[in-house]
Amino acid sequence: MRWDRVAPWLATAARLLLGGVFLVAGALKFPDPAAAVRAVRAYRLLPEALVAPVAFGLPVVEIAVGLALIAGVFVRTAALASALLLVVYLVGVGSAWARGLQIDCGCFGGGGRVAAADTAYPTEVLRDGALLLVALALARWPRSRLALGGRPLPEEELVRA
Amino acid sequence: MPDTAKRKAARRRIEEKRAAEAAARARAQRRQRSIVGGVVAVVLVALAVVVTVVVQHSRTATDPTAAAPANTVDHGQVVLVGSSTAPVTVDLYEDLQCPICRQFETSTGPTLASLVAAGTVQLHYHGMAFLDTSANDRYSTRALNAAAVVLDTAGPDAFQKFHDLLYANQPDENGSGLTDDQLIAYAQQAGASGAAVEQDIRDLTYGDWVKEITDQASKDGVTATPTVLVAGKQLDNAKLTPEGITAAVQAAHG
Repeated sequence: MRWDRVAPWLATAARLLLGGVFLVAGALKFPDPAAAVRAVRAYRLLPEALVAPVAFGLPVVEIAVGLALIAGVFVRTAALASALLLVVYLVGVGSAWARGLQIDCGCFGGGGRVAAADTAYPTEVLRDGALLLVALALARWPRSRLALGGRPLPEEELVRA
Repeated sequence: MPDTAKRKAARRRIEEKRAAEAAARARAQRRQRSIVGGVVAVVLVALAVVVTVVVQHSRTATDPTAAAPANTVDHGQVVLVGSSTAPVTVDLYEDLQCPICRQFETSTGPTLASLVAAGTVQLHYHGMAFLDTSANDRYSTRALNAAAVVLDTAGPDAFQKFHDLLYANQPDENGSGLTDDQLIAYAQQAGASGAAVEQDIRDLTYGDWVKEITDQASKDGVTATPTVLVAGKQLDNAKLTPEGITAAVQAAHG
């Protein structure tokens, strides 16, 4: 019984955390589009023709996912989308690490700025991994408090009826 | 009695059925609403992606006819200091606002200068400007543009002098940058003066050129400054010292 009361609030906290991170990460990539292009190119994974569209388009997707999570609409879809994005980021950062590239992840804007000894791969991988767990848990138990969308919780149903 | 009981039961069944139907209708409505909402959301996000890609493309676009400064090589993208017949080429990727570049220039700049003077080394400067902030009023870009103006007006040796002056007087990375007036004064000290120089420094005449060579550096795979290549081979950071450079140049010279 107690768990039933706590779980939706935990889901709300997960939504706000994950949504906040994605919203900030997306927003910080807008002011300097040239840096965003350099950040994506620095991974040396994409052909040149795809670098700019990804650099410009990805922040929009991040912001959309972030807004959905914060507002509490399409929570399960948004959580799955953010999990997918995080897997992509983990693969990107992991491969840069494995190939010995000296880049920062460009996760929160910037790009190429890293002073050669300043790579932070372990931190980046840990952070993305932790966020991935949060996203997966939220996709499994998406019902939360303070959400605009989704089915109402049982007590709320009673109140509304 | 059994009659009323039967009727009651029948009524209850009807009510239950109606309630179930209403619940089903509500579920179907909700499902339809979320399908419509989902489609609308996907379309909106796709639209936002397209609009953003177009807008950001135009923000990063450079004029293909943009002026490159005179006295450059490699399609106007590289500044060659020294003799073009010197046997060992040293490529330098630097940002005039980068503090580690300043450290490198302070420690190793004189060594490079003497290798150039001895005719052993030709320096290829690849400018980059990626440390612009609103606090420094885009100092990276303004500084590299000013260096291009000096190069265009007074040639590679004046460029080298201006480059050394700007590193010696580098503003704090989180500070406000040098003003255009200060850049003009250093340009004059390096040997480039006059109304045209002042105007080109203030107007960012080579602003698009700065964008292009910064982008080219990223295409060259450079992600950090300073990046130094001796005879085409990148040096480890530990070797960015007078001894490290001298050894690499000697090895390349064979």
